[in-house]
Parts: sequence; C-alpha cells; structure tokens
Amino acid sequence: MALVTRAEGRMYLTPLVGFLLLFLGFPAIVNLIYSVSTVTFETLRSPVLSGFGNYVAVLNDREFWSSAWFSLRFGLLTALAECLIGLFLAIFLAPLLSKRPVLMAPLMLPLMVAPAMVGLMYRLVLHEFAGPVPYYLFEWFGDSPAFLDINNAFRTLVVVETLQWTPFAFLLFYMAYSAIPLDVREASSLDGASPLEIVRWIDLPLMKPTLVIAFFIRFIDGFRVFDNVYALTGSGAGGSTTSLSIYIYQAFFKEGAIGKAVAASVVLFLASFIILHGLNRLAGRRKG
Amino acid sequence: MVRALRWVVLAIAVLAMNFPIVVTLITSLKSQRELSTNPGLWISQPTLDNYLEVLTQTSRFNIYAYLLNSTVAALIGTGLAIVLAFPAAYAIARSEAGKRLVLPIVINLRAVPLIIFAIPLYMMYQWLGLLDTRIGLGLILTIVNAPLALVILVNAISDVPVELDEAAKVDGASSLQVMMMIVRPVIRPALVTTFIFGFITAWNEFLFGLMLTTSRAVPMTVGASFFFAASGGGVKWGTASAVMILGALPPALLGLVMYRQISGSMTAGAIKG
Repeated sequence: MALVTRAEGRMYLTPLVGFLLLFLGFPAIVNLIYSVSTVTFETLRSPVLSGFGNYVAVLNDREFWSSAWFSLRFGLLTALAECLIGLFLAIFLAPLLSKRPVLMAPLMLPLMVAPAMVGLMYRLVLHEFAGPVPYYLFEWFGDSPAFLDINNAFRTLVVVETLQWTPFAFLLFYMAYSAIPLDVREASSLDGASPLEIVRWIDLPLMKPTLVIAFFIRFIDGFRVFDNVYALTGSGAGGSTTSLSIYIYQAFFKEGAIGKAVAASVVLFLASFIILHGLNRLAGRRKG
Repeated sequence: MVRALRWVVLAIAVLAMNFPIVVTLITSLKSQRELSTNPGLWISQPTLDNYLEVLTQTSRFNIYAYLLNSTVAALIGTGLAIVLAFPAAYAIARSEAGKRLVLPIVINLRAVPLIIFAIPLYMMYQWLGLLDTRIGLGLILTIVNAPLALVILVNAISDVPVELDEAAKVDGASSLQVMMMIVRPVIRPALVTTFIFGFITAWNEFLFGLMLTTSRAVPMTVGASFFFAASGGGVKWGTASAVMILGALPPALLGLVMYRQISGSMTAGAIKG
C-alpha cells in the first residue's frame, strides 16, 4: 500500500506549484516578451515586438559590464574573506563554544538584522562628522580616509558585507566541525600529530563539502547583492558601486528604460542559471 | 594561555561584527546637544528622548505604520509559505512526486537574483491593484520564504518514521488525515522554526518593499531609509538611530531567543539540500 499515491502527491504539490507559476512564471514570460519589444510606461499593455535591440543595447552598455564586473568581484572577494575568517573562528573558538553554547548568540546577531538596516547603520558609523570611526581616526592619526568616495567605496562595501555575513560561514563550519567524531582526532593525536597537522590532514578534508557549499552560497548572495549596497551608497561614488541588481533597478525606476532593464534581467537570469547549473553538477558529483 | 587568546578573539569578533549595531544603539541614547559635539563611543548623559520623540510625535514619524506594515506583511508571507510548502513537502518526502522537478527548482530559487522578477511583478501589481498594499507585499514575501520552508519541512518529514504513517493507514486513515493528524503534530517544532526564521527573513526583506510600496504599505526596512533622505545633509542622527534600533529589534529579539533552532534551519538547505 502506497503511503501517498501519485495522484495525491500531485494534488499536494499543486498549491505551491500554482502559486509559483503565477508569481514567477507569468513574470518570466513578460520578461521575455518585453525584452524583445519597444515599450514605455504608456504602452505597457501594447508592447511592439522589435527584435533584439534591447539586448544589443544592454550588451553594448559599458555600465552594464562595469556592474557585472562589480558583482563578480564583490561576490568572489566577500565569499573568500567570509569563508577564511569563518573557518578560522569556527576551529579556533570551537573549544570555547562547545562548553558555552550561549556564546553563539552574539556571534549570530548580525544575521538577524536586515542588510538594508546594516547599510544604513554604516552611514552613521562612517559619517565624516557624526561617525565614530572617522572621529577616532582624526583623533588618533589626524586623518581619516573618505570611506565612501570613488577610491574606497568598493573596499568599504567588501568589509561591510564580510562583517555581516562571516557569521553565516562560521555557523556552517562550526556545525561541520562539531560533527567530526572526536576519536578520529584523538587517534591522530596519539600518533603524534600536532593540532595544526590535525586541522590540515583530518578536519579540513572532512569539512571540504561544507567549505565548497558555503563558498558558493556566499558567492551567489554577494553576486546578486542589492540591499546593503543600495542603502549605504545608493550605487554612488560615480557609479563605482553599481551591482547588477542595482543596474536593473535603476534602468527601470530612474531611467524608465523598461526594455533595457528587462533585457538585462534575462541576461542576469541566464548567467545565474549557468552558474547554478554548474554548481548543481558539482554538488551532484560530490554526492555520487 | 591559548584559552585566554580564544576569549580575546571571540571578543574582537563579536565587537567587530556587531559594531554598527553598538554604534547605532549608543547614538540613539545621546541627547541632541551631545550628538553635535561628541561622535565618540561614550555618552556623558544617556537619555531616551530620541525614542520618546519617535514614538510620540506620530504626525512627524510614521513608525507605527511601518512596524504594522512589516508585521502584517511578514505574517502573511510566512503563514502562506508554510501553508503552501507543508503539503508539498509531505508529497516530496513520502512519494516520488516532485522529487525530480519541484524540489530542485524551488531550492534553486533561493539563489536566483529576485530583481529579475521584480519589474514584471511591478506591472502585474499595477494591473491587479496590489501595488502599495500589505497583501501584495505579503504575497511576494511568500516567494522569498518558500524555498527554505520547503527544505526545512522536507527534511523534518523525512526524519519522521514511515511506520507512523503506515500504522495510521492500516487503521483506515486517508493520506490527508495522516498528513494533518499524525505528521503535522510530530513536526511541530520544525513548523515553529520555519515560522520564526521565515518571519525574520520577511521582516528584513528590502528590495520588494522598495519597489512595490510607496506610502500606505511601506515596511520598516524601507521606512528607516526615509530618515536619511532629508536633503541638505540634515539627517537627525539621534532619531534616525532610534528608528533603526526599533526596526531591528523584533527580528533580533526573535533570533536571540531562538538562535539554537534557527542555526539548524539556516544551514538545513546547505548541508542536507
């Protein structure tokens, strides 16, 4: 006797699938149609098909490529920094945390605050008159860099994103590290391995799947970043902090260039699809 | 020695990662006068004036409206996500249906840049009259929450012994009855975690709030940014900080109380998915 027949299974899936088709399937189709149309806010309901002009415009737009470059660099750098710091914290603090789990709470707190809100908070933290960081730098060193100008904005954003999301990488690593059986470590310790050697030859290999997954999750989240960058710089500093998500948002809302925004969306979707497909294959190979 | 070093590293990590929250909290407790002279981290005379101002001068600050909008939209977005995901998760965990197509697609949704759906959704909402409504925002937050809700619930149901279902079936229960009366109570903790985690995620969402609301349904994350929009550099840091603390408080409190449960669900998709 089957617990759930095929027909019943489909029935239980229907509400979720129907909802997603309506709220994501319909927009996906609209995207595809508008991306090959001439359309303005006045002609939303009667777009005129006009070929691939929008795509040509997007792919020839230097700002599109510079925002793509921003997203890619931002995603890679933040993911790398978050994973390295998170890994160090997870392994180094494990003896402390396993005895006092409550210490996890303050480490996880940044994950509970909205990225947009954190972006706003850094406006205060880094403000040249009201912010404590420039204040103390002036006080101690007589000078403070302009954290959000064209030279420093990118670096500042990388640090801000890393500080907020390192806890996520840390959490994954800490759980993976805690799951490693103690006797494996004890055995190698008896054989004369130093703590560093145990980390290198026992812990890291066993944690490798988690390392890979954490890196990819953080990369993808950094790649599609919107909230904190928009809240902190609004893409500012001469457009030097425009991510792909912000590029699309601005093309639509600020320029009213619907065709361009939608074509960029489709390009971004394809890029994400290719990245995700690659990751899934990698993950699949890991399981098999 | 190493033990002491661990404490030092922990203190530095906690302080560095929570630094913006600490600064904002301190700033919110400074008087108007002190704010203009002292940007440092110490306060000579802490005061709650900024909070009083934000909470009582309702004609100037819309904070109650923002808080209410965020709460209602997050409740809709979380509740609906669970209502939709629970039966789907049951089907996926207990039958072949949905395993090959629905589950992977929904999981990958978590990684797709949501901006790519935002523009047509904006238009769709315009036609449907859902722009700037709490229901409209709540419906979108459902999509934000659906992937993790599904992953957490599939994992939870898979952990329930099939024998429980089988015994009920032998006693003549339909699969709907098994799902609602046997499985649902057993995975109650997972449902609660899903709800808390979803609520935090929905409360913290920004992009759709920014795009799909303008005045009536503005959520807290977007409303807080209005306090910085004042032109001419006239940001009132004291009240702006109080607003940010008030807006960050609900998810932070929920998270601090439930951090153990949440840490499991945050990583559910990553480790088992």
